[in-house]
Amino acid sequence: MYAIAIHGGAGAVPRAKLSPERERAYRTGLEAALDGGYALLERGGSSLDAVATAVRLLEDHPSFNAGHGAALTRDGAAELDAAIMDGRQMRAGAVASVRHVRNPIDLARRVMEKSRHVLLVGAGAEEFALEEHFILVPNQYFRTAERLGQLESEQRGERVSDLVPPVSQGTVGAVALDASGNLAAATSTGGMTNKRPGRVGDSPIIGAGTYAKNGVCAVSATGHGEYFIRAVAAHHVCSAVEYRGLTLAQAVHELLHGILRRLGGDGGLIAIDQAGGIVMDFSTEGMFRGARDAAGRREIAIY
Amino acid sequence: MSRRKPTPFACVLLVLGAGSAAAAAPAAAPAPIAIVIHGGAGVIEPSKMTPEREASYRAGLSAALDAGYEVLDRGGTSLDAVIAAVRRMEDDPQFNAGRGAVLNQDGDAELDAAIMDGAGPRAGAVAGVRHVKNPIELARLVMDKSPHVLLVDDGAEDFALEQGVVLVPRGYFRTAPREHELDEARRAEAARAKAQPTTRLGLTEGAGSMGTVGAVALDRTGNLAAATSTGGLTNKHRGRVGDTPLIGAGTYANNESCAVSGTGQGEYYIRQVVAYDVCALVNYRRMTLAQAVHEVVQVKLRRSGGEGGVIALDRGGNIAMDFNSVGMFRGARDSRGRREIAMYRETGH
Repeated sequence: MYAIAIHGGAGAVPRAKLSPERERAYRTGLEAALDGGYALLERGGSSLDAVATAVRLLEDHPSFNAGHGAALTRDGAAELDAAIMDGRQMRAGAVASVRHVRNPIDLARRVMEKSRHVLLVGAGAEEFALEEHFILVPNQYFRTAERLGQLESEQRGERVSDLVPPVSQGTVGAVALDASGNLAAATSTGGMTNKRPGRVGDSPIIGAGTYAKNGVCAVSATGHGEYFIRAVAAHHVCSAVEYRGLTLAQAVHELLHGILRRLGGDGGLIAIDQAGGIVMDFSTEGMFRGARDAAGRREIAIY
Repeated sequence: MSRRKPTPFACVLLVLGAGSAAAAAPAAAPAPIAIVIHGGAGVIEPSKMTPEREASYRAGLSAALDAGYEVLDRGGTSLDAVIAAVRRMEDDPQFNAGRGAVLNQDGDAELDAAIMDGAGPRAGAVAGVRHVKNPIELARLVMDKSPHVLLVDDGAEDFALEQGVVLVPRGYFRTAPREHELDEARRAEAARAKAQPTTRLGLTEGAGSMGTVGAVALDRTGNLAAATSTGGLTNKHRGRVGDTPLIGAGTYANNESCAVSGTGQGEYYIRQVVAYDVCALVNYRRMTLAQAVHEVVQVKLRRSGGEGGVIALDRGGNIAMDFNSVGMFRGARDSRGRREIAMYRETGH
């Protein structure tokens, strides 16, 4: 058995506001990422390569909030976070607050494979990128007219409270199981529109937005990052499966509709278990998502 | 009748006795309060410890432990108690946090800290700050005054300025012993690079590399809190963030389970989500706190090759301090009369 699931963010676009053209753009982007990752699995590739490939394709697609087309900080810059985890060896790599790395997921993978660290942030992460011969890009590369428009409207509007996190705008992620039985997870994001520079959400935090452990599950989350951090969301799902014997669907449901609801946080997540069972659930109006497996399932959905 | 005569009198005595015991109960056995601190695991080999240094570390740990305990004893919150203890150790140059933190490859202290309130739960953290005297206080401001949990780098210092925190120059953190350690680490790194040119980013293992500080506390109202602060690893890559500021990895508190602060090789703690895992084992596997800590530190971390220790506390006031390194500077004090400072396994009592 092999399988992959992807997400392009939860709660990003209200159903009423999604025009047919935009819906088509989102669906095309999701299909390309899903099939790109799946093709690798089909050729006997690793789940690690599959999730990295799917996430890279979503980063490059301007509709999603990661890489090119990421949400902008209050200073009008893109500040990107990403993480990848290999369930086989429990290895992980992550970067946060990078501004000049075209594909943050590639840098996260490099941190995992070429450094003895797990998380590098800010200018230090970019220094590492240069040491690893990454070609840096100007911050402008990430900026799109649509994101600038969103930033302007956010900055015009009155915030309800400084203590309530604004709604997130659609992180991307992937989880996969390969034919050798290895699980992997990857997540990448620009965070929230109009965020304070230096703000890091759950995506690059192992156990919060991203987690993978062979024999248990792999998880990638999207939503109100601060709540997902406090709930240690991704690890919560896996520990509920491992320690309490819940099914993956039960564990995800409890987290999203029990724990996070009580805390006041919304979002969604995708998860896959050792048998290739896929769960995609959300507490928001919708979540861009897709799933494909060796048993013939292939679906793209938004609401 | 005559045989039963003394009975009412004895009963009255008994009732009086019981009554006074009941009246005294709230004062004699109030809800437990407790604080546990650590000043790092595997900091110094026992063979390299001199009596003077040991006395100095013990004094530093005692001051932090008592500062935190006094807050609890006065009826203060566990949050204020862990802050008081951690701030003491940040200000004490012998610990790897705040002043006297280890230096990165550029010769700067780059500091990480996190705090978590078991009620809520709420959390705040900062990473990669270079001009904040007490990073634990900035972490608390992130929790109390921002909608966020984690702020890093310049953005975190920008927030500090907005909150009226006075920044200090980088020289404030630097001490002669840490500069010496950096020189040694650079020399060792150069030698390693020569022998093995493919690994450039070494996890420098040397004195002071694991001297993170932390505290967990339980207050009279039953709230748990955890706080951790560190300078990370000597000669670390700029931007490297360990487990300390990551909620669930190095720091975690939840009134439904327990409060944990870790110290050790951070990368292992991140991958295994150590602090949360202790609480998940308590909550879901119904292990005692001591069993959960043992499972994580002596079985899971050991299996993966990760070195270090954790301190933990639950709502019943149960204390666990365990490590798989040569030692862990630590202290515990509670309202049942326990007060101890220890460094190595054999000196623990």
